[in-house]
Amino acid sequence: MNSNKTHHREKIALLFFLLFLAMTGLMGRLIFLMIFRSEHYSAMASDLHERERTIKAARGNIIDASGTVIATNRTVCTISVIHNQVKKPDEVVAVLSKELGLNEAEIRKKVEKYSSREIIKTNVDKAMGDQIRSYHLAGVKVDEDYKRYYPYDTLASTVLGFTGGDNQGIIGLEVKYEQYLKGLNGKILTMSDAAGIEIENEAEDRIEPIAGQDLHISLDVNIQRYCEQAAYQVMEKKGAKRVSIIIMNPQNGEIMAMVNAPEFNLNDPFTLNTTTEVPANEKEKQDLLNKMWRNPCINDTYEPGSTFKIVTAAAGLEAGVVKLTDQFSCPGFRVVEDRKIRCHKVGGHGSETFLQGMMNSCNPVLIDVGQRLGVDNYYKYFEQFGLKGKTGIDLPGEASTIMHKKEDMGLVELATVSFGQSFQITPMQLITTASSLVNGGNRITPHFGVSTVSSDGKSVHSFTYPVKEGIVSKETSETMRYILEQVVSEGSGKKAKIEGYRIGGKTATSEKLPRSLKKYISSFIGFAPADNPKVIALITIDEPQGIYYGGTIAAPVIADIFKNIFPYLGIEPEEEKTVSTFRISG
Amino acid sequence: MAEKRPVVKKNRPRRFYDYSLLFTVIFLSVFGLIMIYSSSSYAAQLKFGNASFFMMKQAKIALGGFILMIIISKMDYHWYGKFAAFAYVLSYILMIAVSLFGKKFNGKRRWLGVGSLTFQPTEFVKIALIVMLAVMIVQMGKNINTKNGVALIIVTTLPIAGIVAANNLSSGIIIVGIAFVMLFVACKKKWPFFACGFAGVGLLAFAGPIATVLEKLNILHDYQLGRILVWLEPEAYPSTGGYQVLQGLYAIGSGGLVGRGLGESIQKMGFVPEAQNDMIFSIICEELGLFGAVSVILIFLFMIYRFMLIADNAPDLFGALLVVGVMGHIAIQVILNIAVVTNTIPNTGITLPFISYGGTSVLFLMAEMGMVLSVSNQIKLEK
Repeated sequence: MNSNKTHHREKIALLFFLLFLAMTGLMGRLIFLMIFRSEHYSAMASDLHERERTIKAARGNIIDASGTVIATNRTVCTISVIHNQVKKPDEVVAVLSKELGLNEAEIRKKVEKYSSREIIKTNVDKAMGDQIRSYHLAGVKVDEDYKRYYPYDTLASTVLGFTGGDNQGIIGLEVKYEQYLKGLNGKILTMSDAAGIEIENEAEDRIEPIAGQDLHISLDVNIQRYCEQAAYQVMEKKGAKRVSIIIMNPQNGEIMAMVNAPEFNLNDPFTLNTTTEVPANEKEKQDLLNKMWRNPCINDTYEPGSTFKIVTAAAGLEAGVVKLTDQFSCPGFRVVEDRKIRCHKVGGHGSETFLQGMMNSCNPVLIDVGQRLGVDNYYKYFEQFGLKGKTGIDLPGEASTIMHKKEDMGLVELATVSFGQSFQITPMQLITTASSLVNGGNRITPHFGVSTVSSDGKSVHSFTYPVKEGIVSKETSETMRYILEQVVSEGSGKKAKIEGYRIGGKTATSEKLPRSLKKYISSFIGFAPADNPKVIALITIDEPQGIYYGGTIAAPVIADIFKNIFPYLGIEPEEEKTVSTFRISG
Repeated sequence: MAEKRPVVKKNRPRRFYDYSLLFTVIFLSVFGLIMIYSSSSYAAQLKFGNASFFMMKQAKIALGGFILMIIISKMDYHWYGKFAAFAYVLSYILMIAVSLFGKKFNGKRRWLGVGSLTFQPTEFVKIALIVMLAVMIVQMGKNINTKNGVALIIVTTLPIAGIVAANNLSSGIIIVGIAFVMLFVACKKKWPFFACGFAGVGLLAFAGPIATVLEKLNILHDYQLGRILVWLEPEAYPSTGGYQVLQGLYAIGSGGLVGRGLGESIQKMGFVPEAQNDMIFSIICEELGLFGAVSVILIFLFMIYRFMLIADNAPDLFGALLVVGVMGHIAIQVILNIAVVTNTIPNTGITLPFISYGGTSVLFLMAEMGMVLSVSNQIKLEK
């Protein structure tokens, strides 16, 4: 036994040593895990424990030129149930169905569904939310939330746009200025156990939301509302499909009104504004909604027709190929190559000066000016005036000009372009180009956005827009103003005349394609005062019934609008004599 | 040694009693109860409405076990030897009974008993085998160094270990481990044991490739390969097999140097499943940090050190072997438990002695401690 004893002791000591080594190894492993991998595992554990709830940031208001808030937020509540925390399901079902007026079976299904959170109803009024909260039902959550609210319902609907479920802009200014308006959502970080129940007394990390910035725009509610009224009136009177009106400051491109009647209700943008077309299915309804949300002033192109003669005239004057006193003759048509192109006056205007040709809106005169310029020159001015590109307006989805390629443009195409046919531009492009031609030759960028102001009013950011100077000379611009004033005072646009004011303008009646349908867009572009334009307006009446001449139905609408907004804009009436004493230069 | 200080003359030979070990056991049990309360209170509150449910249950058994330990420690250990063969046969009976009539819990038949009185026979098997092997080795004398002697020990161990392993793999491994350790101490040879040890370590080191090859050869099932792969890379399987291990690692990693503080674990709130059981060490790490975790290991190491001293000074080989058996049992469980929790070896359910929740386990551990203390009590101090 004794001989065994020593080797046993030796073995036991060896065993102890080996166990000591193993445990030391494990301690080493622990040091590795708890010191060197600590950060990694703590971060993963925190991810697991922290439940993040976002606090929505209030979206910035949209404020018009007069300081009126036209898009803001309303507090609404979301009612939801948390299955695990519901203690008295029957009471919960009874109260919720009574207060919210919902089907009891439906609510019961949601209450009994085993899920972390089941939403019962969204967009509940704050008052109702407070009332439900006052029951103190375990497991019923009332979360407050912001919802976009438009106090004027339909006002400038296609311009302002609306927001979606996550308060993100969907169309219009809401989407264009999303980054300024949306703000930064805050966060509440809470710790929770494996079942998702919040752990009490754990420090809550709260990151405050930053409210979005207020957007100040040049649109004026008063002008917009008056224009909307006028648009609806003419639309009803003429049985037109749509009426669009743009009112802009031609000096800097600030848009004061943009109407696309019929407008839709921004607080209910998913309901169609017409009852005549009943969609057969979801896809059709979506198509109709998309159509309703369109802003034809910038999203759609049309053949501008006679209003485009402004461009041809300006190009001709700028190139020096025509003077106001140049003599033309109109037999009622002009033959270009093998084509006979008619004037709107079947018998012809006879002998007339260039000025008279413009006043008469005579096609052969403008065809001749175009032919004198030639394709190369005409194309050069078309591009120089900025007609080839987009206007750069601060609204999404602006359509591009559809124009002949220069190499495909023959004399016939040149002739038709000269009086505004065979190519397409947006109404916005037309009014922007016309503004630039009468404001002294500065190509301005049309826009709504003026500035953004942070919610505390401390930080102000003003927007600047590019201006291309000298697209025509000051003299040409002055001559254009004179011509267009003559058009209104004695020519085809005389229905736009207002006693005591100097107004320039041009009418148009465009045929819609295909021409065989005999459908028209009547339009009028007008500005005032004619010697120093402060306001320019364009109206397009889509498919009027009965009389469809722009000079007859479109010009009076603008005259009416001008008459009403001039005092508001501070445009004073002047003496008649200035017109007659105007001297033609050159 | 401190215990061998000069003694005052007395008529009766003065006997040693290892109070250091006794207090270590008391300390570990109490610490275990605190950790059980800390790790289970949240779940117990949710499930039973009583935060101290698990702790109280464990405390009662621990107290009973403690009294049992004191009684056993005051008996002459040679007396247990008489029951060795009986206990060994009883092990078979109990194991067969449990596989036939055992209560199912989590899909495994591991519990025997009537009503609320249940126990796990595997815990009994461990202690029975320790006594049985000690008796056999002593009887064999020098024959233990022969092939026949070793073969006899293996033949005694493997059948019961096999039955246990069929029901509870990790307990089977522990039983084989206990026999291995006792044989290692009893035999004069070293190299066969080292060879086995190196083979085991090598197997672990190259487990991934080996398992892949075995699976290709259709020797290993793909779920077994899955376990190995989860072990090698738990983060790649967070929701399936890696969940438990990964949650344990999160707990350990979040502990850092000094831990979140006692009772502050978050992982115990349902993330680490049944945190009071096998994974309790991860909660200790999370709450008490590296310092706490290392301290726990050092206390176990101290306990093993006391075992070594007692075994060295045991009056005879039987006593020494009993202590070595217990030493092997506790050391293997501690090492394997911590290795599993730290993902050093593939996941298998092994409890941490004295600390993990489990009535049978603590009862029989106390009985084993009683045996060791009994051996210590036979050490005569004067020479």
